[in-house]
Amino acid sequence: MAEASDKLERLGRGLVRLEAAVRGEEPLAPLVDEMFRHAHSVKGMSAAMELEGISRLAHRAEGFLEILRRGESAPGPEAVDLLLSAVDALQSMVASAAQGESPEPDAALLRRLAGAAAGHLEPPGEEAPPPAPPAAPPAGPEPAGEAPGPPAGEDRGGRGGAAPRVRRRLVAEVEIAAACPIPAVRGFLVLRKLGALGELLGSTPAEDDLRAGRLPERRVSAVLETAEPAEAVERALSQISDIAAIRVREEQAPPPPAAAAPAAPAREAPEGGRTVRVRADLLDSFLDAVGELILATSRIRELARAVPEAHRPPLEDGVDRLHATVKDLHDKVMAARMTPLRLVTDPLPRAARDLARRSGKQVEVEVRGAEIELDRAILDELADPLVHLVRNAVDHGIEPPHLRQLSGKPPTGRVVVQARRDRDRVVVEISDDGRGMDPARLRTAAVARGALGAEAAEALSDREALQLACLPGLSTAESVTDVSGRGVGMDAVKRAAEAVGGSLELDSEPGRGTRVALRLPLTVAVQPVLLVLVGEEVLGLPIAKVHGAAEAAVESLERSRGEPMLSWAEGLVPVRELAALLGLPRQERPGPRQVVVAEGDGERVGLAVDALLGQAEAVLKPLVRPLDRVGGLSAVTVLGSGRPVFILDVAGLAP
Amino acid sequence: MVRFTPRRARAAGGPGSMAKRVLIVDDAIFMRNMIKDIFSGGGFEVVGEAANGLEAVERYRELRPDLTTMDIVMPFRSGIEATREIIKADPRAVIVMCSALGQESLVMEAIEAGASDFIVKPFKAEDVLAVVRKVLGEA
Repeated sequence: MAEASDKLERLGRGLVRLEAAVRGEEPLAPLVDEMFRHAHSVKGMSAAMELEGISRLAHRAEGFLEILRRGESAPGPEAVDLLLSAVDALQSMVASAAQGESPEPDAALLRRLAGAAAGHLEPPGEEAPPPAPPAAPPAGPEPAGEAPGPPAGEDRGGRGGAAPRVRRRLVAEVEIAAACPIPAVRGFLVLRKLGALGELLGSTPAEDDLRAGRLPERRVSAVLETAEPAEAVERALSQISDIAAIRVREEQAPPPPAAAAPAAPAREAPEGGRTVRVRADLLDSFLDAVGELILATSRIRELARAVPEAHRPPLEDGVDRLHATVKDLHDKVMAARMTPLRLVTDPLPRAARDLARRSGKQVEVEVRGAEIELDRAILDELADPLVHLVRNAVDHGIEPPHLRQLSGKPPTGRVVVQARRDRDRVVVEISDDGRGMDPARLRTAAVARGALGAEAAEALSDREALQLACLPGLSTAESVTDVSGRGVGMDAVKRAAEAVGGSLELDSEPGRGTRVALRLPLTVAVQPVLLVLVGEEVLGLPIAKVHGAAEAAVESLERSRGEPMLSWAEGLVPVRELAALLGLPRQERPGPRQVVVAEGDGERVGLAVDALLGQAEAVLKPLVRPLDRVGGLSAVTVLGSGRPVFILDVAGLAP
Repeated sequence: MVRFTPRRARAAGGPGSMAKRVLIVDDAIFMRNMIKDIFSGGGFEVVGEAANGLEAVERYRELRPDLTTMDIVMPFRSGIEATREIIKADPRAVIVMCSALGQESLVMEAIEAGASDFIVKPFKAEDVLAVVRKVLGEA
């Protein structure tokens, strides 16, 4: 199944390149050959798995590609669109087959593919059956008692106790906006919303068709038996987005016989992509386990010091070997976590193409260096920001074709996503040849928003002024970004890069284009930390530095040179208030405290804290000025909840 | 089964007299920050964040937000399960799913679980605000 998905992914990628090929920028024949091969093997695989529906659709797609291959018909954008819809349909069918279903292809799509293979392409929906409004009523008196639903007035609970209200039949017709990227889901939401208001007697398309992603006309009509007036139903529907038109009226005649399909039990359906996530979790736990091994090895080494001299060499020898093996294992686990950038860049050309077509632009995305590998955790954090940057380039950077031609540019805009190694870092650059950004406008906007004074703004170089686009207030203001040629959320992208220990640079030239460079580490510095609470503050201690924890009533401890001493592992360690060491406001708390015994500068120290919060895997990022000057802090991490937590440098905690 | 505290008392006044309170659920910091910025810029009050479905249910119980945005695929507990649990305890909860292209069947599952609407990534600020204003009956 994964193999089929992979083949489809490549087929889809091939299609986007196909469009470029049609413009003569890439040799056409080998590309069509390659796609033909993928379609053919999807057909073969699905037939072997007895997935007849998938096989049939793949067969039609193959047939059309065969025509293209023979060069009997030059593929235009319509052909590419049709093939993309076929690939989309195949993908969702493969996904539902993975859940044990036997999906059936959309008849209209099969017809369009067959028609295209025969030489005539039609826009979607043209040949689809007419909308079939559910009410085409033959006039006449309503026959009594033929309603398939429960008798009027007998509520299915919920409104119990109220006087029985008159139930009526309403016909609701909803047209889904063309901008909606997943219209079948919208349609499904409409049916659900109606179902919550009464009893759904039938719909076109049927619920199961919507479930399978079939909504040929972007229109849903349904018959509803309800106690609500038509206006209330209309009001409820108007709360759904992406709806172009709503019409609710009372039905005059008997309802169509088709009863609404009962809601299928909710399926615990893992999506294809989720298996990858599980695998990544497994890799995370490998890394954790290896971390524990490293820690255990160093403990054994320490214990070995207590062994009589005579027995020490063989033991130390063994520990050395163990250490080497564990180190090797660690490197291998880190290597296994390395994943090619392809994983997150492959969908970009397709996403850009869809966006561009929706906004009437022509854009081509080129990805270079997709084979470069990064740690899986970094890639995970990078996926959304990359889509976002490409989207910004298409929406705000690339101009419409006529404007591009006016300024002497080719009508098709170019977005290049390029990755390269730079020593121990990977640089991912997203550049476009669009309108660029205007530093003067950014300065004005920053001053207007009070982000900085007029003089300070003037003092900025143009390059520095561009970085203002990453200020939170600025980058989210549509009005500013539209004129500055850059979209929303630049600050979020910047923060995402920084969260994995990277950075973001912006470069732009008005009229020439914009370049965003993400400079990222190859691997994450993941460290297990112990989280402790001091007053309101959560702090992290590297587990490697922690010997253990104990509960003790500090004031009743023995004192030595004025310091309370905790008895620990045949010795005594001084106990200090962590709050006092960090200069945090200190609350007097009588009674037992939690004391964490940690390794300081060659000596142990007990740190009294308010509570132990548990362990966490922290991706450490360096402190920026002026925080890097604060003694006792070594790094900062962001917890799953989004809360930043400082990691303590135990040795740097001055008493 | 989770027990919920009663809905927070609201100040008197018509709709819009108080900033609506939003809880953001997403396992990616990037998406949380981005959604947070969108809401803050749109006059909403972001009262909390959660990074997985488990946390989402807990935060919902504590905060009782007017609106929750929910990612679908998350570790520990999916957005669908979290939605189901929140709706079970508070049928009036307004939850908007954040989905990606290709997650159609999961979005439908979430709708069955009680989600009020959905947005599709990548989204623009105005798209998000339009959807939530509609779903809250403000537009």
